[in-house]
Amino acid sequence: MLEINNLHARVGETDILKGLDLTVNAGEVHAVMGPNGSGKSTLSKILAGSEDYTVTEGRVRLLGQDLLDMSPEQRAAAGVFLGFQYPVEIPGVSNMVFLKSALNAQRKTRGEPELEAGDFLAWVRHRVKQMKMDPAMLSRGVNEGFSGGEKKRNEILQMLVLEPRLMVLDETDSGLDIDALKIVAEGINALRSPERATLLVTHYQRLLDYVQPDKVHVLSGGRIIKSGGPELAHELEEKGYGWLSEQRAA
Amino acid sequence: MLNRDAYESAFARFSETLPAATIAPRRAALQRFLDTGLPGKGLEAWKYTDLSPLGAEAVAAPSVRGRPETPLPQFPGMHTRCWVNGRAPDGDAQAGPVETPSGEHAHDGLADLNAAFALRGIDLRLDDGASLDAPLHALFVTEPQGDGEMVHLRHRIALGEGARATVVVHELGRGDAPRWSTHLLDIELARGARLRLVRLQDESAGTRGWFEARAAVHGDASLDVTQVDLGGGIVRNDWRPRLLGPGADVVLRGLMAPVGRTHVDSQFLTEHAAAHGRSRQWFRGLAWDRAQGIFNGKVVVRPGAQKTDSEQRIANLLLSPRARINAKPELEIYADDVKCAHGATFGRLDPAALFYLRSRGVDEATARALLIHGFAEAVLQHLEPAELRKAVVARLLERIGNEIDPEVLA
Repeated sequence: MLEINNLHARVGETDILKGLDLTVNAGEVHAVMGPNGSGKSTLSKILAGSEDYTVTEGRVRLLGQDLLDMSPEQRAAAGVFLGFQYPVEIPGVSNMVFLKSALNAQRKTRGEPELEAGDFLAWVRHRVKQMKMDPAMLSRGVNEGFSGGEKKRNEILQMLVLEPRLMVLDETDSGLDIDALKIVAEGINALRSPERATLLVTHYQRLLDYVQPDKVHVLSGGRIIKSGGPELAHELEEKGYGWLSEQRAA
Repeated sequence: MLNRDAYESAFARFSETLPAATIAPRRAALQRFLDTGLPGKGLEAWKYTDLSPLGAEAVAAPSVRGRPETPLPQFPGMHTRCWVNGRAPDGDAQAGPVETPSGEHAHDGLADLNAAFALRGIDLRLDDGASLDAPLHALFVTEPQGDGEMVHLRHRIALGEGARATVVVHELGRGDAPRWSTHLLDIELARGARLRLVRLQDESAGTRGWFEARAAVHGDASLDVTQVDLGGGIVRNDWRPRLLGPGADVVLRGLMAPVGRTHVDSQFLTEHAAAHGRSRQWFRGLAWDRAQGIFNGKVVVRPGAQKTDSEQRIANLLLSPRARINAKPELEIYADDVKCAHGATFGRLDPAALFYLRSRGVDEATARALLIHGFAEAVLQHLEPAELRKAVVARLLERIGNEIDPEVLA
């Protein structure tokens, strides 16, 4: 579903990704772990189309389409969803308006009819309930005055409403208490299906206890330096990242 | 140079329509105007808005036409009264002699110009304890006329003790011809009276307009103003509320959204003359293209006005490289036990917020419109009923050339 080949990217004059290869098949959940500064967030943002980075080499394909040629909104319509590490506050734009604009824009781009107002409302309310959120949040500004945990929960709510094909979650587990972590994990698991793929970018093993990955990758120095099964995450939790870098240097 | 002949002959024609007794004081006002002239760059309060070059242009007496040529906006639950080119539809008599207390206006010359030519606009007086059955929608439509035609209006709202009213002052200009427009509004709120006032300025691009509202707000009375500037060519607004009794409360909030080469200069001068007064000055500006916006505000706290609670917040978004906004909040305090805050901010659309919206599938133009609307919402949310708010939002979006469906924002 997602194929990344030899991806090189930089911000300003600094090279961050240096030949990254990664393939995620439909139905799979992959975790990308790695030390600070390894390029995890860069990878997430590049997949969503951030203009803060310049891709200098390589290819990214989603369902056979070349992602790098597409605008952020085209990627969203094609099925990419990025759960932001730091969700943005947008005062004056309510969550309801935001979700309605996003869903209808995506449907329009895909040539699907817009949802009737009543159907949309019922759909959003269903998802709000699923995330155990207060429906009153829908009339508040996007993430306005939300705690760190509420913002992350709101990311998953948006994901449940939009039902993307590729879910890229950038440290969605950080800043969550254990109850919120479970709700967020349930939200992610609810969308697991043979038609979807998930990329969990995380520092810690914690989230992976609730969302079982099929594969775990270690990103370091702008490349995937090791891949393995779920057991790799436990090994990293135990030993840290140091042993891998040493292994590589040797 | 002021084109004295043009103003003299315009007045000669205009005075033919006036009751004889009212001509002399108006002629005296005209004379004072001709002596003073229009405000220009020599004056600190007018340094951004130099009207003196306009004095050389031709002017014509206010039109006598009184029928709108196009459908008029109306809002449910409101009682609409419509003036066309300054004339009330029911053929109200002209305003009588109009006083212009010297030194109390933003510019005496302009006030005298208004006094010489003013027709009667809103004249609302409520007895103690009275209230309006329905909000008054006072619509001032200017239809296309000849070059230089003038519309000058004098308004008065006086509420007795505990009286309540909601008034929407709506200026709607059509056509492209250059024209002059002045509105002078006197507000008097007796103890405990409450006035909600909405002003929608949607004049034509050729309009040079001056709007001045002076308000006397007595103890426990409340003045709540929401002003939205959507149109006009050269626009100057002056708000001058005075808090005269304990517990007086004044909220001035405003949004300006100049596009093209529009120039909007909004000034406020709030005077706390009694203790325990509260004032809020909340203004937001959005400027596009080569438009220019100015916010200049001052809060004066007189000796003895202890426990004054005042706040001035001015926030601006610049939406193109050549747009400009100047903002200056000021304080002048002569009492020692007061709480006065002020601040001004300037910014551009947040690229992180734009990316966030686009990453959810919203196209760039719509994302921009949503963010702009979100910024304006701090002011627009105070517009009631919803239909009025929707109409303003639709007009705002139309002006910024965006095709986003206003229903999305409903």
